[in-house]
Amino acid sequence: MIELRNVTVRYGGKLVLDRFSLELPGEGLTALSGPSGCGKTTLLRVLAGLITPEGGTVAGVDPRRTAFLFQEDRLLPWRTAFQHIADVLPRSRRGEAADWLAFAGLEGEGGTYPAALSGGMARRLALARCAALGGDLLLLDEPFAGVDQERTAALLGRLRGLTVPIVLATHQPQVLAACGRIISLDGPPLRCV
Amino acid sequence: MARRGRAGENGMKRPLKILVPLAFWLLVWALASWAVGLELLLPGPLAVGRRLLALAGRLDFWLSVGATLGRVFLGLLWGALAGAVLAFATHFSTWADRLISPAVRVVRATPVVSFILLVYLWAPRSAIPWVISGLMVLPVVWGALSAGLDCMDKNMLEFARAYRFSRLKTLKIIYFPALRPQLAAGLLTAFGLAWKSGVAAEVLCPPLWAIGSRIQQAKLGLETPDLFAWTLAIVALSLALEGLLRRGLERGTGRD
Repeated sequence: MIELRNVTVRYGGKLVLDRFSLELPGEGLTALSGPSGCGKTTLLRVLAGLITPEGGTVAGVDPRRTAFLFQEDRLLPWRTAFQHIADVLPRSRRGEAADWLAFAGLEGEGGTYPAALSGGMARRLALARCAALGGDLLLLDEPFAGVDQERTAALLGRLRGLTVPIVLATHQPQVLAACGRIISLDGPPLRCV
Repeated sequence: MARRGRAGENGMKRPLKILVPLAFWLLVWALASWAVGLELLLPGPLAVGRRLLALAGRLDFWLSVGATLGRVFLGLLWGALAGAVLAFATHFSTWADRLISPAVRVVRATPVVSFILLVYLWAPRSAIPWVISGLMVLPVVWGALSAGLDCMDKNMLEFARAYRFSRLKTLKIIYFPALRPQLAAGLLTAFGLAWKSGVAAEVLCPPLWAIGSRIQQAKLGLETPDLFAWTLAIVALSLALEGLLRRGLERGTGRD
C-alpha cells in the first residue's frame, strides 16, 4: 500500500497539492484520471521522488526503486533504440535489451535513432526503457500518448504481465477500462472526486 | 517568380570556384610586385613559388614543419584538456568559478606577445611555442564548453537522475555528446589561434627546428622570397589541417 498524507506542493506560489491524502494499492494497474493541469503529473513526480513536498509524508514508496516515465519521451538524439534500453540495464543484463525492444514492438529498430522513429514508436521506446529499468513500482505519465489502439492493447497486456504495481496518468478510455482501479481527480489544488 | 542565385554560381564546378579566385589574387600579387619592381620589398608569385619548391626539397624544411606541427598539436592538446577540465570545474563548483573564471578571462585578454616574453623568462626556449599555443587554446575551449554547459537541457539531466545514472554515466551519455558541437566549434577557432601564436612564439624565441626560426632567419638575411615562401607554407598547412580537423570533428559530432 502506498500512502500520501497531507502532502503539500507549491509551484511558483500556486498550490498544486494542498494537504493532499491518498492511498494507492500496492499491486495491479491503477489509473489517475482528471483534466489537464489538475496535478496528476505533480502527484506522480512526488511519488518518484523528483519533487520534495513542502509538507506531509509519503509512505510505501522507495524513489530509488521506482521507474518513472516522463510525459515527454526524453530520448537522446545520439543514442540508438538499443542503446536507450541497454543504458538503463546493468552490464550483466545488457543482452535483455533486444527482449525489451520486442516488448515495445520495436524488433528490427535496434539501430534506429529517435529522429527516425514515429511519435508512437518513440513513445513505445520510452515506455520500454522505463519498464526495463524496473523496480518495485512503475509510474507512467500518459504512457500511450500517440500510440494506436492496437499497440496500446498489446502493451497493456505486456505491462500486466510484469507483476509490478503500476500507477499511470491517462485520459484514454481504452486504458482506463483496462485498469483495476481508477482514481478520478480534479484541481488544482488536486482533490479526489 | 523564382529568384536566380548569384550569377551562375550553382552551375560552376567546384575546381573553378577555387581556381578562379586564386588566379585573380595571384594576378593582383604579380601586378603589385611588377609595379613595386623590387624583389626585396615584394617578390612576385613565381619567385616565391620557385623558392618554396627549392625549400621543400630540403630535409631541414620538413624537420622544421614537423617540429612546428608537433608543438602546435601539443599546445592544442593540453590547452583543450585544461580548458575542458576547468569548464566542468567552474560549472559545477561555485568556488572554482569564483577563483578560476577571472584568471581564465585575464589569460584571454592578455596579448600573446606579453605571454611569449613572460614565458621566455620561466620556460626553456623549446617549450615556449607549445606553452603559448596551449594558453591561447585554453580560454577558447573553456568559453565554448562553459556556454554549452550553461545551456544543457535540464530535462535530460533530470532524466539521468530519475534513471539512476552514475555521474560517470551521465558525463558519458548526456554531457559529452551534448557538448560535442560546442567543443568542435571551440577547437576549430582554437586551432587557428594555436597555429598563429605558436609560430609567433617561434619567431620571437626561435628553437633549433621550427618554421618560426626559418622566418626569423629569412628576415635577418633580408631574404624576402624565403619569408614569403615560409609564410605560404604556413598558410597552406593551416588551411589543409583546419580542413582535416573540420572533417574529423564533423564526423565526431555525428552519431556514434
